[in-house]
Amino acid sequence: MTDMAGPSENTTLRQRTTASSKPEYPTKLTEDVEVKEVVTSVFTPAEQKQSLTVLAGLTVLALISRFYKINEPDEVVFDEVHFGKFASYYIQGTYFFDVHPPLAKMMLAAMGYFIGYDGHFLFDNIGDSYVTNNVPYIGLRALPAFLGAMTVPIVYMTLREAGYPIVTCALAAFFITFDNMLVTQTRLILLDSMLVFFIVCSIYSYVRFHKTRNNPFSVQWWTWLLATGVSIALTTSVKMVGLLTVATIGVAVLCDLWVLLDIRRRLTMQEFMRHFWARAFALIFVPMVIYLFWFYVHFAVLTHSGPGDDFMSSEFQETLHGNTMADGLYIKYGDNITIRHKDTSVYLHSHPHNYPRRYEDARISSAGQQVTGYAHADPNNIWHITSDDPSNPKTGEQVMNKDVIRLLHVSTSSWLLAHDVASPTMSTNEEITTYSTEEDGSRLNETTFQIMLDSGGDKFRTMASAFKLIHVDTKVAVWTHPQKLPEWGFEQQEVNGNKNILQKTTLWWSDSVEGKDAEEIEQEAAKPVKKRSFFLKYVELQGKMFSHNAGLTGKHPYQSQPIEWPFLTKGISFWTQNDTRKQIYLLGNPLGMWIAAGGLAVIVGIVGADVLSRRRGYYPLNQDVQRRFYSATGFFFVGWALHYLPFFLMGRALFLHHYMPAQVFSYMILATAHGFIFVEGVDAPISEPGPEVRPRRLQRAVVPTLAYISAAILAAIHLASFLYFAPLAYGTSAIDVPGLARRRLLSQWEFHFAK
Amino acid sequence: MSITDAMLIFCSALSIDPRSQAHFGKFGSYYIKGEFYFDVHPPLGKMLVGLSGALAGYDGSFAFESGAEYPDMNFGFMRVFNAFFGAVMVPLAYFTAQELKMSRTACIFAAFLILCDNAYLTISRFILLDSMLLAFTCFVVFCLAKFRNERHDAFSLDWWLWLAMTGVAIGLVSSVKWVGLFVTALVGLYTIEDLWDLFGDLSMPKTTYLKHWIARAACLIALPFSVYVASFAIHFAILQNSGSGDAQMSSLFQAGLRGNQFMSNPLEVAYGSKVTVKNTGYGGGLLHSHVQTYPEGSGQQQVTCYHHKDTNNNWFIKRAHGESFDFANEEKPQIIRDGDVVRFVHEGTGRNLHSHRIKAPVTTGQFEVSAYGDDNVHDLNDEWRIEIVDEQSSHPRDGTMRSLSTTFRVRHRVVGCLLTAENINLPQWGFRQIEVYCDQRNRTTSPHSIWNIEQHWNEKLPAGGESQYKSKFWRDFWHLNVAMMTSNNALIPDPDKEDLLASNPSQWPLLAVGLRMCGWGDDKIKFYLLGNPIVWWGGTLSVLAFVSTLGYYVIRRQRKLQDISGAEWEQFQYAGKVLVGGWFLHYAPFCIMGRVTYLHHYFPALYFTLLLFSFLMDHFLFRPSVSARTRAAVWTVAFVAVGGTFLYFWDISYGIRGPASQMGHLQWRKAWNIVDEHTPSSFI
Repeated sequence: MTDMAGPSENTTLRQRTTASSKPEYPTKLTEDVEVKEVVTSVFTPAEQKQSLTVLAGLTVLALISRFYKINEPDEVVFDEVHFGKFASYYIQGTYFFDVHPPLAKMMLAAMGYFIGYDGHFLFDNIGDSYVTNNVPYIGLRALPAFLGAMTVPIVYMTLREAGYPIVTCALAAFFITFDNMLVTQTRLILLDSMLVFFIVCSIYSYVRFHKTRNNPFSVQWWTWLLATGVSIALTTSVKMVGLLTVATIGVAVLCDLWVLLDIRRRLTMQEFMRHFWARAFALIFVPMVIYLFWFYVHFAVLTHSGPGDDFMSSEFQETLHGNTMADGLYIKYGDNITIRHKDTSVYLHSHPHNYPRRYEDARISSAGQQVTGYAHADPNNIWHITSDDPSNPKTGEQVMNKDVIRLLHVSTSSWLLAHDVASPTMSTNEEITTYSTEEDGSRLNETTFQIMLDSGGDKFRTMASAFKLIHVDTKVAVWTHPQKLPEWGFEQQEVNGNKNILQKTTLWWSDSVEGKDAEEIEQEAAKPVKKRSFFLKYVELQGKMFSHNAGLTGKHPYQSQPIEWPFLTKGISFWTQNDTRKQIYLLGNPLGMWIAAGGLAVIVGIVGADVLSRRRGYYPLNQDVQRRFYSATGFFFVGWALHYLPFFLMGRALFLHHYMPAQVFSYMILATAHGFIFVEGVDAPISEPGPEVRPRRLQRAVVPTLAYISAAILAAIHLASFLYFAPLAYGTSAIDVPGLARRRLLSQWEFHFAK
Repeated sequence: MSITDAMLIFCSALSIDPRSQAHFGKFGSYYIKGEFYFDVHPPLGKMLVGLSGALAGYDGSFAFESGAEYPDMNFGFMRVFNAFFGAVMVPLAYFTAQELKMSRTACIFAAFLILCDNAYLTISRFILLDSMLLAFTCFVVFCLAKFRNERHDAFSLDWWLWLAMTGVAIGLVSSVKWVGLFVTALVGLYTIEDLWDLFGDLSMPKTTYLKHWIARAACLIALPFSVYVASFAIHFAILQNSGSGDAQMSSLFQAGLRGNQFMSNPLEVAYGSKVTVKNTGYGGGLLHSHVQTYPEGSGQQQVTCYHHKDTNNNWFIKRAHGESFDFANEEKPQIIRDGDVVRFVHEGTGRNLHSHRIKAPVTTGQFEVSAYGDDNVHDLNDEWRIEIVDEQSSHPRDGTMRSLSTTFRVRHRVVGCLLTAENINLPQWGFRQIEVYCDQRNRTTSPHSIWNIEQHWNEKLPAGGESQYKSKFWRDFWHLNVAMMTSNNALIPDPDKEDLLASNPSQWPLLAVGLRMCGWGDDKIKFYLLGNPIVWWGGTLSVLAFVSTLGYYVIRRQRKLQDISGAEWEQFQYAGKVLVGGWFLHYAPFCIMGRVTYLHHYFPALYFTLLLFSFLMDHFLFRPSVSARTRAAVWTVAFVAVGGTFLYFWDISYGIRGPASQMGHLQWRKAWNIVDEHTPSSFI
């Protein structure tokens, strides 16, 4: 902030903010005033060339690490099952549902499209062969691998732009190049490569933007501001985790705005608001448009009915070609229909056999006709729907939501009935039976059911309407569950009356109307595919994505807790091949990650010590070092924390690879921590000069030999650890049993073929 | 405004019969009868209910079934006792407001808000723990405010008094419900900030600073902890009889309860003894077998863990094969020692406990445990090595296996795996009993792999006595707390079932939900748990108003525009930290908690918003630009609105007599179900 304040005010300001930090500083300042020419870059052309060479070298290493034997394994690995399949669906235009936003999958699909893949393969099982199925998987894998490799130069450039010496930048880039998890995850058909790439683009753009702050509203300033906005939009369009990146940038922007608001910056309120609205436009409005744009493309491409239909509302499904919803027939009184249970897909069935009078456990039944759930088509599944008033059967009228109806079992000519008798297997639920039409009508009120539609509008339809049948007299819902009846019930599924009518498992649907001839059906079905506004579709899909994501609470053998991630206490088995005993086991670079965890601890320790000592009036850090430490390392640390800590609050099943973005930050922090310890001073100034900038003092960091040596040692450890575990990351060669035992540093790493 | 007024309001018309106290009233009777029970809440609140019952001359015979008629006893006194805690909140709010330096009118308004909230009133008039929790929470805030006002006079008598009182208060509140930990967190954060301020005082001698630390550690950690522990000590001291909660505790603890047969167990376990074997993991069952076989794997007889008493839990401990196992003829029983190799023979079926390298049915990474063979058909896979882990009573650790108090591992002799049961249920074919498997990971410290002998029969050995089986207090204390924690975490909502009483935290601040406290028949007196809408909405709006005002001031100060004086600004910040902080700490955790949440979980948070409400009224009204007339007018409107609404909703707290349909005028929000039956649907 002091870069911008006028020199006259600056002296007093300095004294206030630094107090007794470095007593020699004010005197130095007066000397520096002599430096009249404005420094544009602190680095000499020779250094810049050197830096480019290092950058090029690291980029080549990164490409090699990602593309090494990318053709192996030539089988479907882990989540390629999902994301490969989704790419195929895009190419074929088949509607699918996934909890992640569409961008990365579309990129994969586009890649497939350009290399001539027709989307015929559905990636059904881990281990399916690509070769025999003729899938151009190398091309598909090349995209994530390339972006994974490009992460490395961008991290290098980010640190370089943030003013760090080559050794620090190279160290971070080297750690990212040779991390086993980043290698494994980015050379397969997965989304994380794109995610991490866009995250580092966001951070890079923001650093560049911050450096143009002395020339607000210049072309450069706008360019990098918009680049930041576009990058966070692309990140969020890959996975919702991108919101954490948005938060990271948001924290930085708020701090920035807060400084601009300071009266001592002499911005008028109008000027300040210009700053505010520019950021709001570039970092909120533009990203939202881009994010929505991908959904627009998503809906525009996926126009055919497919496996994603069931997730959506019937109104949505009616917009897809070939969806059965669009063909739903309106059901009228007097129709003969079949009724199926939504969860277990059995038909509501009855047959001329009765419940045994006395069950094995000595309970007694009504000995009425059995009503069961039957899995196959059968004439005994047909029910005739009629009104509750025998004198007015309402024949031909449309059945509406909340109508009270009776169901006649056609082949035995008896009414569906529920009554207060315990069901065959559950004494808490009511027995469902039927009651012959030949007997007198005195039990009419026990045979009336209210039909409660759960979806598909107010008119009862086949396919589209999910409904509950609530027994009017005793308020139970007709329900079935996978419990099989004993031999007397032909091992069909038990149907009973469930008192808990709110349960979602009480839903049924009707799949056909008997006797409607083909012409009638055609007439009704020849409805065109319906239109629905983009925003309605988007809101529905986004809502489903959130709720489905939150619902991923099922246990998974390889799930882990966030606290385990930095310490790498658990890995994930991605792929195994029994014949060759090869396997891919997702694991970070163990030594590298443990060193990085140590780096994080060092940073926390430095901050703690600095804050405590300043509280006691003692200023241990040189002011420039301190400013660089908080603005650069601090920013990366906020990035790490925001990409990691929120996972502690998530209820869904979590996996090690959710740590990947945070891991990239942790390697950047490690490098800067190394620099903090071994490099003397900082290179400054690094931001571009502006019209109001006072002449700045040129400062150079001193990089002692020890810094190079220690960096080389860290890199060597990291590389050795990488190579040692590389066979598990690439899956290109098998390790023998003792080799696996040696590599099992932690007992929780459960490798395959270890015995 | 006095305690008497509050008492009058809270205690009047107590002759009613609602249902919710069924639960806690029952706990009161356990204390009176001294029967050990188990509950997820710490004991203090329920002991106070028990105390009120004892004072009322109640003998504990009434079962407090929901809706049942009270017998001829002075249950009114029990209600008054509870209502008293609710009533105490009113003066506490007044005095706390005073300590927060509010004007006299604002102090009265704060108390008036508490007094006229129908939800506080309703909940206090039943035998529930909430009124105590609320009263103690208010007391903590009061003590904290008192203590802060002594900060310029450190180590004075008053300073010590209020620091210690704060400590006692957080001890009390945490001993009623664990929700008290939220207000404890508030005190903790305040203390950290306080110490941080003192840390920056360079003129303070280091010894003085150290004294500040020690004083707080003693009063805010040691003291509350002692109160909490003491409540458990009294709990154990009163409940000396065997009761419904036995099974939640360790075998050794159960042996110490009157009416339990374990204490007649012979002490030392010998070859030939008949025993039941209990898993020491929390909620661990007894090693069990039955004639049914595994439908997969080896197809041999199932071995499970079972929680209920059953003869199929009985096992004989016999010598390994090859050695003499004719124990009936042995002269002197030989005691089992650490490292012995034994067989466990199931009494009912005569089969041996057995394991082999066949994967377990559910935990497929580990090996199956079955029952196989008999005394004649056998192999080495029937043999297990006893590894003694610990001796929990005062007996020496000499490697002797004693019933109840010795914990041990059971290691398979051939495979080397450990007999383990980790509360994983078998499918229906195993009657959903707990799976037992043999764990090859060698997790020697896992309580799920550690066992103890529970019941023990051996005619040749002398019966033990009460003195032989003394459990250690700290172990019981810890065990009970872990059990409470585990049960608490198990209270998660079932996605398939919608609980009509539960509500979502998002529904609380704007009162989108009310609760029927009893049956809704026309002939019954009905009670409806619902806040005073003006009070609740005012409280929630205050939080928003405070945050926006704070933002406004902060931004203006960054532009060097000062709207209020330095002292006022400091007071404003302080009130914000305590009141908004308190609200946040009592509200936010429920939003991220996985467990079922109910409307009454918001009550402590509400208290902070109400103090904030008065504080903000004060803040905006007492400034030069507001004339005395306007001020008086605004206060009058506020008092009338709050009081009027309270009277308007009088019936829901004191009982709706006659059909609920006549209460249509109270249905301000569609989400309330005072009149018609429907599930609350609004999310905000």
